[in-house]
Amino acid sequence: MSLAAHAQPFFLEAGGGERFCLYHAPAGDCRGAFVYVHPFGDEMNRTRRMAALGARALARAGYGVLQIDLAGCGDSSGEFGEARWQGWKDDLTLARAWLAGRLGRPAGVWGLRLGALLALDHAADLADTADEPRLLLWQPVLAGATYLTQLLRLRMAGDLVGTNAGNGGGADSPQALRALLQAGSAVEIGGYLLAPELAAALDRLDAARLAPAAAVDWFEVVAAPDRPAPPAAQRVAAAWQDKRKDAGKDVCLHTVAGPSFWASQEITECPALVEATVAALVESAHA
Amino acid sequence: MYLEQIITLLKDVLSLGDEVVLNADTPLLGALPELDSMAVVNLIGALEDQFGIAIDDDEIGAATFESVGSLAAFVEKKLAQ
Repeated sequence: MSLAAHAQPFFLEAGGGERFCLYHAPAGDCRGAFVYVHPFGDEMNRTRRMAALGARALARAGYGVLQIDLAGCGDSSGEFGEARWQGWKDDLTLARAWLAGRLGRPAGVWGLRLGALLALDHAADLADTADEPRLLLWQPVLAGATYLTQLLRLRMAGDLVGTNAGNGGGADSPQALRALLQAGSAVEIGGYLLAPELAAALDRLDAARLAPAAAVDWFEVVAAPDRPAPPAAQRVAAAWQDKRKDAGKDVCLHTVAGPSFWASQEITECPALVEATVAALVESAHA
Repeated sequence: MYLEQIITLLKDVLSLGDEVVLNADTPLLGALPELDSMAVVNLIGALEDQFGIAIDDDEIGAATFESVGSLAAFVEKKLAQ
């Protein structure tokens, strides 16, 4: 069956335009709801298939899923260069309200890579309110500043292999590009125009300081089944656990063996991640 | 101390098969054909994500990537900061 047979595409009216959405209705009795937040740039394209597989599996397990293309991304209106972090958080609020209205229950947030960091930041805004979402995190970006550096570094790599030859020494170094952004200029990275406002917001984000108070299932993809979660993920999870030890809720950091599907040039699947996510939800529903 | 983790990361990022044996003395830059300029960028990013460190481009050079051991020593120094 085609994806269209499972999901209902539509445009959601939003500030300054409309957002492309794909709604996956839950099969049978509804057990929960999640808004899916995609990663950024090339990672968004590489992960469409995994997002679709995940959304369909969750829907089959009784969880309604709304996939939203954030402003300036995918098939939504607006240019990427006009996108702002706060605007994306507003999009997420809007999507959660739509899904909660549709299914009559609170909507959690399921985010991948930068989408997971957006989910965390959105949840932090609502910390300890009745509206704080349950979170599903897939391979979250943990440090916005490091992520920004990695984006900026891509331009230098392009130069190193000669695509931008003749641009000269340090003009394309991450530090030089960062200085440009801080001075208020937009910077083009791999076909995306990065606005200085968006870069500044990314630069300030630190997952360790965004400890969620609601239930969170966090999944890290590792290369082999016997590998532990990366030290960086363990440190952030421990910092969260520390902050919320009185709440009596655990941070569930899961590891799943599979390929780094968000990073590979070919469309890659990691079915074990989808299975583990559904299993974690079913288990917590029975707990 | 971080040698085993660095070796695992190198094998994963560069997609090296099991037949490639790495140890502290294994030369990297200029010796390992898989380590081209894009792979160096990917490797730096993977080190940052794995260990939760931020690497400035002026703190790394050819000497950092001379061998597996020099790379491990660099990571150890960053983590101690």
